[in-house]
Amino acid sequence: MSTETANTNLQDAQLRAGIDRSLRHPVMFFLTSGAAWLAISMILGIISSAKMHAPGFMDGCSWLTYGRTQAAHLNTLIYGWGFQAAFGVIIWIMSRLSRQECKAAGIILTAGHVWNLGVSLGVLGILAGYGTGMPWMEFPSFAWPVLLISYLAIMIWSMVQFKVRPEGHVYISQWYLLAAMIWFPWVYLTANLLLHVFPGHPIMANGINAWFKSSLVFLFFTPVALSAAFYLTPKVTGRPIYSYSLARLGFWSLAIIMPWAGMQKLAGAPVPFFIPYLGAAATILFFIPAFTAVFNILRTASADMEIVNHSPSLRFTMVGVFGLLVMAVAAVFLNLPGSTLKLTQFSLSGYGFEILAIYAFFSFVMFGAIYFIVPRITRREWISRRLIKMHFYLSIYGIITVAIVAIFGGWMQGLGQEQFDQPWESAALRAYPYVWATTISWCFILMSNLFFFLHLTFMWLGLGRRSNHPTLLISAHGHSPHGDEGDIDNAGSISAH
Amino acid sequence: MSFRTFFLSLSASFGVAWLAIVIVPYFEMRSIEPVAMGEEATGTNAIYIPKRAGRVADGSQVYAANGCYLCHTQLIRPDYAGNDVFRSDFAGLVNKEEGIDTRRESNVFDFAGEKFAHIGINRMGPDLSNLAVRVEATYAKGISAEQWLYRHLYNPRLEPARSHSNCPSFRFLFVEKKVTGNPSDEALPFKGDKGEEIVPNSEGRALVSYLLSLKKDNPVPPVFDFKSTEESSTSAATPAP
Repeated sequence: MSTETANTNLQDAQLRAGIDRSLRHPVMFFLTSGAAWLAISMILGIISSAKMHAPGFMDGCSWLTYGRTQAAHLNTLIYGWGFQAAFGVIIWIMSRLSRQECKAAGIILTAGHVWNLGVSLGVLGILAGYGTGMPWMEFPSFAWPVLLISYLAIMIWSMVQFKVRPEGHVYISQWYLLAAMIWFPWVYLTANLLLHVFPGHPIMANGINAWFKSSLVFLFFTPVALSAAFYLTPKVTGRPIYSYSLARLGFWSLAIIMPWAGMQKLAGAPVPFFIPYLGAAATILFFIPAFTAVFNILRTASADMEIVNHSPSLRFTMVGVFGLLVMAVAAVFLNLPGSTLKLTQFSLSGYGFEILAIYAFFSFVMFGAIYFIVPRITRREWISRRLIKMHFYLSIYGIITVAIVAIFGGWMQGLGQEQFDQPWESAALRAYPYVWATTISWCFILMSNLFFFLHLTFMWLGLGRRSNHPTLLISAHGHSPHGDEGDIDNAGSISAH
Repeated sequence: MSFRTFFLSLSASFGVAWLAIVIVPYFEMRSIEPVAMGEEATGTNAIYIPKRAGRVADGSQVYAANGCYLCHTQLIRPDYAGNDVFRSDFAGLVNKEEGIDTRRESNVFDFAGEKFAHIGINRMGPDLSNLAVRVEATYAKGISAEQWLYRHLYNPRLEPARSHSNCPSFRFLFVEKKVTGNPSDEALPFKGDKGEEIVPNSEGRALVSYLLSLKKDNPVPPVFDFKSTEESSTSAATPAP
């Protein structure tokens, strides 16, 4: 190796270490508080799911009535966990790929605290009975400007970093991140202004809300998770992405198709006829951006299945990508106008699909990213392979049950609803066993995330292992299958960025 | 691709959909043209004025804050989008002997007075579009519709036939208070201790008033009426002898 290359490599390693150091406080703050919110959301989910089959459970207390805990469950899952995991991952990946140290860690951290304050007050507002009744926007109306402003204060720096990056390659991950960073405030501002500030027709207001939910899934959580998957897979396997032109097709089809989705939830409502059908068509077409991305990522990873098996990051990511595949298939089969749309429109399937998107796809990829990022910014390795495995398997068992059961159960429930000559109770009874299964699997997922939260907190407290060997799921001996970067003491062995 | 081109393409691809399905329909629907009753059907040339009585605005807020929309819908879909209209207790009231058929689909005027139409996302419980019609015609026997709804909200599993309901109890919308003078008309028939009675609080009253406004039995123009479309389609299929 010539001295010049060695020097460049050393500079590279120092740059990476510098980036990681500059971001360690905000990123760890987002990830740990996100994990705490996730655990809270699971607890609320168990309470509300249990109330579906045991209505007497914690009954009669206004704060814990089903309608409030279920709303709080989903809002903490989205704004407490989902967004904060996304923030942590976005600012780190963007800094690394733009090769810029973060110069605003203090502001980001402060804005992160404000975000958490907004979410906490919003959740208390829901539980206290000030919810707005608009799904996924139940926080009382004081919350949205707080969240929007802290979002901008957190994200603007990543945008600036991209703008002032050294000339060079723009990575696929960066396309997705930039797009998500632009789409979200646009969607959020539109929905909140229309629903809180410019009152319109009540039915169209409901349509805006349905579009908002769908946009949050397809235009924020999906691109952020895809970005992390497109970052982690080549990084950990040490191979380039299988096809850039396929990735381009996937990205632009997402950008062109998905803004139209969402209003199929208003099929049969008195709105202009084309709106729900465009929504159904766009949601069905989600399989194009999803399949291209899944194929691309799996092709990249399948080159070395041993690494997929060893690396916690990659194993979580691959399950997440598989979750995307299931989600895309579900998007097709739940939204066919004329056959399945009317069955699933008002059933458990809606919830099942949301959980599939947010947990089975987005959260799994975020877990993968977190298992990759945290050792690098704390400069310690994960403490225990067993804790990671517990998190992995309990989450998988749980999520398969929740998503599949809710989707299939919703379908059955819809069939019952359509049998108009049967009494209504028969339709309601059909959903019962599935509701039971949901409660049990949320318990699994809660357990899995308590392990995760515990592990992450130890890492945050600086109690991680001091070692040159990453914590792998199979064996820690021999050559590090994490690539050269497995050695987190970055001043040592080096790889290209 | 430069950042500028990227940003512009992204804005264009998003902006088209944003304008076409969000902004334009939203602002178009802020002003709905009135619909004439139709001279042939009703003998008058009047305009259809949707009628709705009760504490719609604040009752709707109680409905929202307690998450009723998570289990109940308020949408009767046309028959191409579901079988709701054929469930007579959802879509209206059918009494063939007396020639009553108030079934119809939801129309654009049905949510008048509300800020947000609680169409709902799941039907763990029945559709509530015509709840008041059902309560008045079938459920409330010997008591007022209001009384029935108060009892039902206090304990949804009170009647043996409803022992399987998984609707939560809304006991927190009621207060126990001392009877002063005559007992309240709204008092629940459950014994409070020593001269106490259980009466709804102001939120409970608003909610029940809102629920009683959920009825679609006033005459509507033929374009909105399921019955007339059903008749016209059957008469078209089988011409009169």
